[in-house]
Parts: sequence; C-alpha cells; structure tokens
Amino acid sequence: MEPDLVLVLRRATVAYERDPVVEGVDGEVVDGQSVALIGPNGAGKSTLIRAILGLVSLTSGTIEVLGRPPPAARRQVAYVPQADTLDPEFPVSALQVVLMGRYPRVGWLRRPGAADRQAAQRALAEVGLAERAPARFGTLSGGQRQRVLLARAIAQEPRLLLLDEPFNGVDALSQDLLLAALGRLRAAGAAVVMATHDLGLAHLACDEVCLLNRHQIGFGPIGTTLTPELLRATYGGQALQLRGDGVIVARP
Amino acid sequence: MNLFSPFTLPYMQRALLEVLVLGALAGAVGVLVVLRRLAFVGDALTHTVFPGIVIAHLLGRSLLAGALAFGVLTAVLLTTLGSHRRVGDDAALAILLTAFFSIGVVLISRTRGFTADLSVFLFGRVLAVDRTDLAQTLVVAAVAALVLGLLHKELVLRAFDPEATAAMGYRTHVLDLVLNLLIALVVVAAVEAVGTVLVIALIVVPAAAARLLTDRVAAMTVLACLLGAAGGWLGLAVSFEVSVDHDLRLAAGATIVVVLVGLFLAAAAVSPLRRRLAR
Amino acid sequence: MSFFDAFGDSFARRALLEAVMVGGLCGAVGVHVLLRRLPFFTMALGHATFPGVVLAALAGISLFAGAAAFGAVIVVVVALLGSRERVDDTSAVGVTLSGAFALGVLLLSAQAGFSRDLTAYLVGSIITVGPGDLVTTAVVGAAVLAVLAALHKELVLGAFDRGGLAALGYPVLALDVVLLLVIEATVVTSIPAVGTILAVALIVAPAATARLWTERLRATTALAATLGALSGVIGLLISLQWRVAAGATIVLVAAAQFSVSLVVAPRHGLLARARTTSAAPGPTPAG
Repeated sequence: MEPDLVLVLRRATVAYERDPVVEGVDGEVVDGQSVALIGPNGAGKSTLIRAILGLVSLTSGTIEVLGRPPPAARRQVAYVPQADTLDPEFPVSALQVVLMGRYPRVGWLRRPGAADRQAAQRALAEVGLAERAPARFGTLSGGQRQRVLLARAIAQEPRLLLLDEPFNGVDALSQDLLLAALGRLRAAGAAVVMATHDLGLAHLACDEVCLLNRHQIGFGPIGTTLTPELLRATYGGQALQLRGDGVIVARP
Repeated sequence: MNLFSPFTLPYMQRALLEVLVLGALAGAVGVLVVLRRLAFVGDALTHTVFPGIVIAHLLGRSLLAGALAFGVLTAVLLTTLGSHRRVGDDAALAILLTAFFSIGVVLISRTRGFTADLSVFLFGRVLAVDRTDLAQTLVVAAVAALVLGLLHKELVLRAFDPEATAAMGYRTHVLDLVLNLLIALVVVAAVEAVGTVLVIALIVVPAAAARLLTDRVAAMTVLACLLGAAGGWLGLAVSFEVSVDHDLRLAAGATIVVVLVGLFLAAAAVSPLRRRLAR
Repeated sequence: MSFFDAFGDSFARRALLEAVMVGGLCGAVGVHVLLRRLPFFTMALGHATFPGVVLAALAGISLFAGAAAFGAVIVVVVALLGSRERVDDTSAVGVTLSGAFALGVLLLSAQAGFSRDLTAYLVGSIITVGPGDLVTTAVVGAAVLAVLAALHKELVLGAFDRGGLAALGYPVLALDVVLLLVIEATVVTSIPAVGTILAVALIVAPAATARLWTERLRATTALAATLGALSGVIGLLISLQWRVAAGATIVLVAAAQFSVSLVVAPRHGLLARARTTSAAPGPTPAG
C-alpha cells in the first residue's frame, strides 16, 4: 500500500529582510519515516521547523502538511520544544502538561474529560513517568521534563511530530526512553522530523537526513546522505575526517 | 514660537537649569534602567518616596530628606526581595510600592486639604523651584554622576551578563544595590519638579528613544542625556509660550513628558530607516 | 463597636458590598496577572486610563466609561509597541504609562478653573459608592469571571508555553488582547473602591499570597478571591473606625497578608526556607 505523504517541501525558503535564513529545502516525508535535520548552529533548523508549523511564512517555495498549507494542519502536527525554555516555577503538574496536548481535541470552552485524562496517563506511561503524573513539572529533572513534553506530543496523537534538539542535556536513561517512545510512534504511522546535532542519535532514531547550512546540502536516506563528504560541506572547516570513513564534528 | 525668550525670566532660568540637569542625569541612569528592564523599579521608587515626602511635610522638615530616607529604604528592600524566586520580582514590587504609597495616602487623609496636597506631590511644581531646591538638585546630581562615572563599566556588565559578572568575582547584589540607590537619587531629585508620577518618564523615555537609535552603550548614554535635556528645555519653552500667547495653561512637568514621548515616537519612526541605510 | 454596628448606615453597607465584590474579583484576576507576569502592566494601565477619565469628566459622561474606553486604547498601543523590535515590553509600558498620564495632566491643567475632584479617582472613595456603581461592579465582575472560566485552559497554557499555544494553532495575539482587556476591566471596576493607582495591589497581593500557600491553580484562585474579599472587608472596617482613606487601608491589609505569608508560609515562606537549608541531611539520592 502506498505510504501517505505527510510532509512535502518544495524549494522552501525563509528570509528576514532580504537575508535568507534557510533556502531551497526540498524533500518528502511519508508515514512512519523519520528525518534528522542536521547542521551547525544558525543553520536554519529551528526556522524550518517553525515554517513547517506555519508560525513563520515562506518567502518562496511551498510546504504542504498532509496536503494542506501548514496552518490548516496544526491539529495533526505536534511540536516538542526544548524543556529548558519553560518556567520551572509554574504551577502545573506533569499530567496537566501532557493534557495540554489534548486541547485541539477538547476544543474551546470545554474541559478535558475522562477519556483525555486516560490518554494523558497512557502517554506518560509510554515515556516511563506514569507515577510522576501529579508532580509539579519544575520538580522533575531535565531529562524527565523532556520526556513529559514528548508525552504531551504523544497525547495529541499526531501524524507529524517535530522535535527541536530533543536530546540536549538529557540523561542516558531518558534518552533510551525517548528513543523507544519515538520508535513506537513511528510504528503506529507518525512521521518524525527532528533537529539535532548529535550524529550518533540521528543514526539511531532516523532513517533519512536533511543536511542544512542555510541552504540544503542534501536530503535522502541516512546511509547514502550522511557521508563524510557531505558532512564536511555542511559543517565547513569544523568537520575532521578520521581514518577514511569516520567523521568527527569539531564544533556542532 | 520663540524657544529662548521665556528664559530671560529668573524663575524660568532656575526651572531650565533644574530640568537640564535632571534630564541629563535621568537619561544617563535611564540607560541602565532600560537595559536591565528595570522601568518597573523606577516606577516603584516614585511611589515609595511619597510617604517620605508626606511625613517630612507633616513634620515640617525638608521634603528632600524625607524622600531620600524612603528612597534608600526602598532600594535596600528591593535588592533583598529581588532574589525571592517564588513570588517573582514584579509581584513583590507592585505590592511594596502600593503599600508604601498607601501609607502616604493614609497619613495625608487625616489632614485637611487632602486633595490639594496630594495633587502637588503627584504632579510637581517645577516653576516654583527656588535656589535651595536648585542647589539640592545639583548636589544630588553631582553625587549620582560621580557614582555612575566610577562604576559605569561594572553596571553595564551586570546588565548584560549577570553570570559573567559573578564569575569575575563582582558581588552582583552590591551592584544591584548601587543601581537601585542611583535610581532612588534621581527619583528624589526629580520628584519636586515633575511630581512622583511623571519622574518615571524622565528616566525611561529618553533612554528608550536612544536605544532605538544606536546599538552602542556609550552612544546610547550620550543620546539619552541629550534627549533628556532637550525634552526639558523644549517642554518648558512650549508650556510657557502656549500659556502666554494662547492663554492655555499647560502644566510644565506634563508638557516636558509629552515632548519626550514625542521624541521617542520620532526615534521609533526613524529607527527602521536607519537600519536599512546601515546595510 | 460590634462588627455589624459599623455597617449600620446604608453608605457603609453599600461600601461593604462593593469591597467584597471588588476584592473577590481582583483576587481571581490576579492569579492570571501573576502567571503572565503582568503586574507592571496592570499598574501602568491604572495610570494610563487617567486621560480617559479627564476627557470623560470634561465631556460630562461617566468617568467609568471614559476610563474603560481609554484603557482599551492603551491595551492596543502597548501590544503594538511591545511587538516592535528593540522596544522591550517593559520600556513600551513605561513610555505609554508616562505619556498617557502626562496627557491627562495636560488636559486637566489646560482647563482653567476646573475643580472636579479627581483624587477620588486616583485613590478611591468607596464610601461614596452608589447603587448604580454596585450594579456595574456586579455585571462587569460576572462577565470577567465568565470569560476567565471559559478560557481557563488556553490562558494557562499561554502563560506556561506560549510557543506551544501557537503550535497547537491557537490565536495567541487575540488571547493576549482578551486577557489584557479583562485586566483593564478589572482595574476600571476597582476604581471606586481603591482608585487607579492602588488597584494593582488589590489585584496582585491576594494572588501572590495565595501562591505562597498552595501549588494547585484551582485552590490558588479560590484562596486569592477569598483573601481579596477579606482585605476589602477588614480594610473598610478599619478605615471607618479610624477615619482614614478606605482604599489605602484596604491595600495595606492586603499587603500585610502578603508580608506575613512571605515569612510564615510552610514550604515557601522565608522561615521554612531557612529551616530546610540549615537542616540539610547528606547527599541527596539520584532522582
């Protein structure tokens, strides 16, 4: 059966006042696929994610999510930001944060119901935090908070999942749990786009890669695209070749 | 409209000197307030010196002394409260300043002439500045300018990067206290001229306008001083001319503020043009 | 003097009712003001509605209407100014606050012989509250609470994770404006009780006190409303007894609640903190 096209980018370009921030992004993502957005800081990864969310408009080119322009598809798209951008003193529990993912389903004026609470509880269990549901979000560790944010995305039951550096500063146990949960999401048919500079994790979590350094350097299967040559083109002088095949990125 | 002729009169000359000094001083301190997003602190101080003024007035003492005492007290309280994360800086400030202000109101409400007294404190009387007031302003300004000059680079560093400041061994709490005291000094000096409510304008508006016109702190400071002084002069001149020529009494302090806001809006209009030219 | 004797006169009973309603409303709204870190804005709003009041007084229309209309304008101006680059929110508010207030003073001073007493507007005059004011307070209060209840989950999410709110497709700017207008309505409604300069305290202090005692939002809101109403009643009582300005006294009571809680609240008070840091056991187990 033909896999569905979840995300289509055609020469997508975003520019602020004449300076392109990211340009010429071209590629397709289908159900169950996982793409790593790889590139140095300032390469435009976050901007591209915001463009896919429809929070930033394209200067030229097109983006289609599930065959529609990005703002129309938001209910099916879940976003996982970096956990340290959120205020740790805020009076919400882990469960309440996860429930936020259910809001598009709950709609305006209504409260989340029993079914939503169950879905939230299940999502927390998926990331191994079921027993921390009533704890205040800020009392959890960095890795645990990141898992809660992924659970929030899971509770949304999205077709497309966007993650911004999800493994930054995350402990090893949380990393494993995050990877496992992502794997289950993909198996259930969701597509994943994740911005990261961790090449090792990209290999573990993704089957495709998009190399960015303000413009697209490559987009394809990870085996053929994550090559030393293309990595050097992406990272410029900051990539060193190591004994033929291996590449170390000196500064991500 | 002649912007110079009003100042042949002695009382206008004193008022002019007062606002030039205040405008420049407030502009310089204002740069730090704007960079640190401390406009609220400045506003808090304008409210908390109020009971000091009231008490001094009721006791028949120097209003400046009363304002100064409460200003210093506030600066100390603000510095200590600022580190209590649970409540949040803004909430504690809002409560502190209105509580102090309320004390002032309660005290005044027990006396006759409640309304009139309150108005004077709130809106100021720059045209009634006498030599003693002027002398006091100059002294306070000199002290503040000295402190600002000596500690400028540390204060700017603290505004920009508190962690680096601490890492370099500076006591950030002390720097914060110094800045809060500076703001208190400016507020105290300006309160009699333009009133407690409008002082915040002198501090924030010229610096905010300067911020729109330049990226460099040194240039920003100079611009803020110039704009502050210019606003003072223009405001006084305009209010005088309009009152005399068109028989429309415009409060001097308020006119100064409106002029300053006008300068800010002009800066806001010019700013995007400037950036495009810089490419 | 017994509690009820103090409220024997009709003006006192109206004042009492107004104090309870305004206190409760301010407490509830205050929770959101704190979550979105808007105490400064709230204070500025109080000052910035001044020209509206002056204009209304000059035009002979209701001061309340003038303040409300002008306040709405201010909300828009601040939102627009603050969204520009290089003008941070705080400075935008500072500029707008002072500009608007100066405008009000100018308008006032330009009116030679204008002698309307506007200090009641600035610091409140609850004992002159009439039946019409009571009705206005009740209606506006009910409307505000209804809006807060309807938009509760969106407002909390927006305060916690603005990006997340946008990513889910909510109209973030529109929700911002709704909240700011709610705050504005609350400030204007509090004018008869505590005046515009002091309104921010009645809005912020009960909520800040409540947050020192509980972690859960529902409980915080209920507690804040209760404390607000309580401040109103106790403050009014004291002011009637000692013949001092009522609005200021109400504010001082609210501030006292906060100060005491700041010290004694279990877990978040200063004493509790001092106890936990001095009683530190050994290394904490891995979490």
